Amino acid sequence: MQQRTNHRKRQKDSGGGFRSLLLSGAGLTVLLIFLVVLFGSQEFGPVYKLLLDAAGPLQKVAAQVKAPFQAMKEQYLDLLTVREEKERLWQELQKCRTAAYANRGAVALNARLRKLLEFKESSGLPTVTARIVGKDPSLWFRSVIIDRGLGDGVDKGMPVVTGEGIVGQVYASSSNYAKVLLAIAPSSAIDVLLQDSRVRGILKGTGGSTFKLEYILKTVVVEKGDHVVTAGYGGLFPPGLPVGIVSEVTKNRRGMFLEIEVVPAVDFSTLENLLVIEQKKKEFKQQTETSTP
Amino acid sequence: MLMLTLIFIITGLLLAAAQTTVFMPNPLWPAAPDLYYILVAYAAYQFRLCQSIAILLPLSCVMDVYSGTVTGIYPAVCCCGFFLLRFMAIKMPVRKSLYQLPLAAVSYLFVSWLEVLLLELLIPEAGITWSWPPMLFRASLVYLFAFPLFRGFDFLYSSLNRGILPSRPGHTEAGNQFRQERRLP
Repeated sequence: MQQRTNHRKRQKDSGGGFRSLLLSGAGLTVLLIFLVVLFGSQEFGPVYKLLLDAAGPLQKVAAQVKAPFQAMKEQYLDLLTVREEKERLWQELQKCRTAAYANRGAVALNARLRKLLEFKESSGLPTVTARIVGKDPSLWFRSVIIDRGLGDGVDKGMPVVTGEGIVGQVYASSSNYAKVLLAIAPSSAIDVLLQDSRVRGILKGTGGSTFKLEYILKTVVVEKGDHVVTAGYGGLFPPGLPVGIVSEVTKNRRGMFLEIEVVPAVDFSTLENLLVIEQKKKEFKQQTETSTP
Repeated sequence: MLMLTLIFIITGLLLAAAQTTVFMPNPLWPAAPDLYYILVAYAAYQFRLCQSIAILLPLSCVMDVYSGTVTGIYPAVCCCGFFLLRFMAIKMPVRKSLYQLPLAAVSYLFVSWLEVLLLELLIPEAGITWSWPPMLFRASLVYLFAFPLFRGFDFLYSSLNRGILPSRPGHTEAGNQFRQERRLP
């Protein structure tokens, strides 16, 4: 009995040794295969190719299934950030609109200043640039306050113009500010000429957006679209400055003169920057006299 | 009292500045409300004579500088409007809140008409002529702007007078509202 038990133990010991030998051999084989794969010729062998063909569709299906979920996830994440994004974009839009508005204003200002500069250079007259700071609110007196005064050389009686034509004349001035009586004021009267026919008349303000041209005889041919310029006779304005364009001519049965309406060359509703011509009445008069043959 | 007068003088000057800048976007703008006249009306209703003079004199002088070519026209307008409103307010048999604003607008129209008449007679070369549509429009603007400005002036007046004067002007008083109100000399 004792002998039988010992024999079985021996058999068991020899069987376990064989199995461990077999396992070690298999492990070494696998290790060898790995080593060959890793450090071998690095070629994608037929086995791999076969495996790839077999596993590829699986990956493809998995990727196709994943795609809508991925899209949903992205949409959800986008949705979470969309409010912030919207606010940011809205703010950006507001900034852009403000910038665009400022740019448009700057462009318009640039155009106006360019015209003033052109006039300044072409006229050859000494001028002071001024800005309107206040406007007369009354219906009967049309005047503006400008930010230049005696300290800048602006004195009573000096003509005020823009690049388009005449605006008015300095009515009163202090050391830093001056009051300009606009040419459209009912109390304003300017000596003018019809540019083509050289017929002289008196241009009066109406208090509105047009002038009245008076003392033009009925015998004179005046047509709509005729240009009116300063005569320079009174010595107040330099001669030849644009004043306006004839917009309506009425020939009444009674009276010697035509009734003529003139649209100002200057747009009084957009006045902002002006030029004050730094010459007194006397100087213009002398100029006119010397230029007249 | 001095502080009250001073604050209202400053308010008047600010109104004149606003009228000639903020409410006048361009020199031909027809819808500029005559804010200075609303203060004239308020002074006529609420202030003593000497206080009113102290408030309206600088205001009218500044308006003369800002506007017009005939000097002295605004002090004359302010003076006429002030005394006309003061007189009518004393003689009015109904309570203040009913007549204050319409009376201010009507007196504005009347004083403006008087101004044009005098200018036409005395300075015909100024070329000033009366026209009903714009003047009615201006009077309605005075009426419209008088409501918020009167509320503002009332607030200013009561804030500055809190603890000094027993009653708050501009508010309904107790008792018979149809009697003549006793005015300060």
